[in-house]
Amino acid sequence: MYITGTGRTKFGSVSKSLIELAYEAMLGAVNDSPLEITDIDAILVSNFLGGPLNGQLHLNSQIASLLPGMNIPIIRIETACASSSVALNQASYCLGKCKNVMIIGVEKMTGNNLIPSTEAIAMAGDCDLDKNNGLIFPAAYALLAACYMNKYGMGHETLEKISYINHKNANLNPLAHFYHKDVSYEMIRKSPMVSDPLNLFDCSPISDGAGAIIVSNQKYSDRDISLLSTQIATDSISLAERKDITSFSATKVAARKAYGEAGIGPKNISVLEVHDCFTISELIALEDLGICEPGQGPSLIENGDITLKGRIPVNTDGGLKADGHPIGATGLAQICEIVTQLRQEAGKRQIDDPEFGLAQNIGGIGGTCGITILEG
Amino acid sequence: MAHYCNKCKKYWNHEVKTCIFCGGETSKLEESVYRVLSSTKVHIPSKGNENVPYFVYLLEDKNGQKIIRKSDHHYKIGDEVNFDVATVSRYAVGVIGSGLMGTQIAEYLVQIGYPVVLKTRTQGSIGGITSKIQKKLSKKLQEQEVEKCLESLIITTDYSDLNSVDIIIEASKEDLEVKKEVFSELSKFCKSTTIFATNSSSLSVDALAGVTDRPERFIGLHFFNPIHRMDLIEVVIGTKTSDATKEFAINLTHDLKKQPIIVKNSPGFIVNRLLLPQINEAIRLLGDGIATKEDIDSAVKLGLNHPMGPFELADFIGLDTCLSILEVLHTGFGDDHFEPAPLLREMVDQGKWGYKSGEGFYTY
Repeated sequence: MYITGTGRTKFGSVSKSLIELAYEAMLGAVNDSPLEITDIDAILVSNFLGGPLNGQLHLNSQIASLLPGMNIPIIRIETACASSSVALNQASYCLGKCKNVMIIGVEKMTGNNLIPSTEAIAMAGDCDLDKNNGLIFPAAYALLAACYMNKYGMGHETLEKISYINHKNANLNPLAHFYHKDVSYEMIRKSPMVSDPLNLFDCSPISDGAGAIIVSNQKYSDRDISLLSTQIATDSISLAERKDITSFSATKVAARKAYGEAGIGPKNISVLEVHDCFTISELIALEDLGICEPGQGPSLIENGDITLKGRIPVNTDGGLKADGHPIGATGLAQICEIVTQLRQEAGKRQIDDPEFGLAQNIGGIGGTCGITILEG
Repeated sequence: MAHYCNKCKKYWNHEVKTCIFCGGETSKLEESVYRVLSSTKVHIPSKGNENVPYFVYLLEDKNGQKIIRKSDHHYKIGDEVNFDVATVSRYAVGVIGSGLMGTQIAEYLVQIGYPVVLKTRTQGSIGGITSKIQKKLSKKLQEQEVEKCLESLIITTDYSDLNSVDIIIEASKEDLEVKKEVFSELSKFCKSTTIFATNSSSLSVDALAGVTDRPERFIGLHFFNPIHRMDLIEVVIGTKTSDATKEFAINLTHDLKKQPIIVKNSPGFIVNRLLLPQINEAIRLLGDGIATKEDIDSAVKLGLNHPMGPFELADFIGLDTCLSILEVLHTGFGDDHFEPAPLLREMVDQGKWGYKSGEGFYTY
């Protein structure tokens, strides 16, 4: 399987509708690939909050409106923030019957919403166990962070460093939500508390945006990137149902399968995109993906290993923290970035000679995980 | 409460009776003592969590089962706490009056978990009150929860049934003489430690405390209609109200998830002293033919950003109630500024009392 085209919009507060964002990303992917739109046999649409925020469901048919007369199969996939990696995973199964499948991820979160976005995002947690006990999403990750800090004796400074590195990477990514924002350690440290110990700069922003990729069962050009593995795993929805609080089983299970299928291990990965919806999640991901041992994440950060020039560059596009987090599009933005890096087309943020890239996309607080491994 | 399969050693946080792995019956595990595994102090408000900051805890019982609980109390990681709400003993509350506010207060209290004794005047009305409260609770709670709430509600016509409650919240007719009568009766029947609180919206707390045997245990607790949506309680401190009574009342308001404001006893307290002159002036504007009631309502809603205009609100409060509060303010301050507008008196005399009578400034 190959990724034969990618496209994405700018992330941030964008004055375009859900459907206009989707169209822009689709057009980008088609223009990027050697294929025509009429070569696409099926489409999977990833979106989380079209219903509660935009009052728009039946998105597959809305996408069909953008492709008059094509009448191809289109399906919407929703697995919270992991929707787009799961859509990519399902697309890989479609390639048995289809030649070329497009995956579109889209989310419109700013503007006139039906309900507040915090309330809508909380729907990714368990309504009874979490939401009705005051557990909004930042609070769920704060419980995890507090637990991690208590277990390993880590201070908030490490999380500040994660935030800082992501913002510096975003300053090199013109499509990032915070491309123009100049962030200092002082700003991060002094930002308002959201849910102790996480402050504003530990949290990813509310963004609009879309991404699209085309996967094909044959190689069309030298720019095509091999899709070595896409794996998904699930876990119970609430932190209250987990044995281990400072690790996500879904990540470990999906990663183990993906490494196995790709025939490589964590040491082979040269560029990594992880789901840093909150800074602590980036740290947990490094450990769950086997990049380091449990409890060793902080030293990886402190040593500068995850920077663009480091041993294992992480979130070279700025991550969810600074590239943005338009939920249904987030996992595809990760894929777009790894493809760009493996094609050596990342400009100022290009890393040296990457060979394998891995993307980790999480839904909720680890209830779903999608792992994708690509080869340049 | 968790369900546990003895054979497969699996847990569910849901009502699972048969194990899907082995087909065996599950057993219920119910613990009330938990250890704090992790805590966070949340600083941003969200729906249902408007008052910030608040704490959220991840807790674990001795079986390793975890729950998430919200609390206003601060615990440290490793602390052992009893977090099962059902086992927290709450004191008993007596509510006097089964009108609009009395039934709402009783309903709100049982929903939170307080045992309530509601005193009404006639035996014949008891069935009606019960079904009214049951109907309202059914909209918010599941059948079993409604049943549990109703189990903790006693409706009576007999003052002697209030002898052992810890606090009385009186919500009888907004009439000084009626309320005085109620409190002198309560003084005869309630135990000496029972705190007396009046939900009066404007009458003097001191005047009412004067007829009781416990003025230091007397306080005003003014709830707002509709109680489940209005977060304010005016805590009215009389000249003789003790600090202990004040503290007890403030703690109660917090437990009710309400925001207390403290005000010394004075006609109309804060809200009605500010509100009624505005309503009165709006009625004068209308009476003088300066503007239509619709335009006056629009002016207040759009220009002052109030959710309701003065005529809509007056109809909602009840024009008879508005008139009686204005009379209290007028008499209390001896200031003609508070004299009720002639149109208001006319309407009350004609039986146009607002929403509750079907017609006020608007027709319902």
